[in-house]
Amino acid sequence: MRKYWWKILGVFLIVYSFTMGLLVPLKPGIAYFEPGATQAGKAYEMTITGYNTFYTKATAAPRVWLKYDSVHMLIADRVEVLGDRQLKARFNLPGSLPTEKQVAVTSLIIDDDYNGFAVKPGSVFITADSSLQEISIGKAAWGKTEVSGVHEKDQFNFPYRVQLSETIRNLYYHVPFWFAMFIIFIAGITQSVQYLRTNNPEYDYKSMSFTMVGTLFGVIGLITGMIWAKDTWGTYWTWKEVKMNMTAIALLVYFAYFILRQSFDDDERRARISAVYSIFAFAAMIALLYVVPRMVSSLHPGSGGNPALGADDLDNSMRLVFYPAIIGWTLFGVWLTSLIYRMQMVRERIYDQ
Amino acid sequence: MNMKKPFSLLTILLIFQGFAQAQADNADFMRSVGKMYVVYGVIVVIFVALVLFLIYLDRRLTKLENQINDQ
Repeated sequence: MRKYWWKILGVFLIVYSFTMGLLVPLKPGIAYFEPGATQAGKAYEMTITGYNTFYTKATAAPRVWLKYDSVHMLIADRVEVLGDRQLKARFNLPGSLPTEKQVAVTSLIIDDDYNGFAVKPGSVFITADSSLQEISIGKAAWGKTEVSGVHEKDQFNFPYRVQLSETIRNLYYHVPFWFAMFIIFIAGITQSVQYLRTNNPEYDYKSMSFTMVGTLFGVIGLITGMIWAKDTWGTYWTWKEVKMNMTAIALLVYFAYFILRQSFDDDERRARISAVYSIFAFAAMIALLYVVPRMVSSLHPGSGGNPALGADDLDNSMRLVFYPAIIGWTLFGVWLTSLIYRMQMVRERIYDQ
Repeated sequence: MNMKKPFSLLTILLIFQGFAQAQADNADFMRSVGKMYVVYGVIVVIFVALVLFLIYLDRRLTKLENQINDQ
């Protein structure tokens, strides 16, 4: 039993990531609203539909703001709760905007004591009548209130993003495979180096087994990514997304590794050449997956320089599930590796007889 | 145990074709209930990939067993 502790740990972490990742609710958010545009100087009545919200459970009616910029915002005169997910908010828009822009895009902010604080950026378009240029009036009217005394929902939940909605959970079922793949490929390359140093065929089989599991994880990462892309970006595959295409190339390089192995009859030559090849493949993968995508713009979060683990992309509640998922899938991958390796060794013994 | 190509390329293509059509007929299905079905789809892919890998291991082990039996 003692020998199996890391396998049990790996499976436990995976089960944990599935359970937590699927059961924890999303933070209450703003799904949509209408109408999306209005004019300055008019009364604007909007109906708001929330997501995961329970507006009827709030002790006081929610407060609703339209935020123009950090100092100019407007609070709704009247907010009516129509249901758990429905609000009606009425604004008396001043005749002009606080700056001389003809069209303003305001953010929608809702706060109450049960559901907490929700923001939908870039929400309501307000066009100002071009004949009214009284910016000072607009400034005074928009600068009267401020967003203050907001609540934070006292519950463990994942952030709500309009674009992602529930698919934010895919972070635990797509990204960990890339991390695990990377760790497993590193393990594989250390075995390749060991083989070149010692010429012991056991290291060659270990290296091959690690590479096989790493490639499997890469394929899983690519297909799960395609499904997520279909929803978020609207297409399964796009040539404009550099990370996706570079990953496909890197995986092809690794597919070639297995074809290369099959084309040798001499065990020693096969082992030596595939060890050298796997080192080059690893170097190519680093360049393709971790260098090139950072140099150009990409649809993936965190593109254009920094990795996708900034505070904008991952909050602490998600880290609690995301990191265990990485460890779990890595351990699971090592388990699969050991199965392939042991099978290879049995095969060797049969052929030797 | 004799499993002759349980998943031929054609079968897989046909399955995907079926999925594609089902989606075209019902484009909003994946986007209903906060797009939760996208998450289910991803989990199903993980499971199917691992099962395919198990089938691959199974077939290779069967070959080894046959070799032992032949000796």
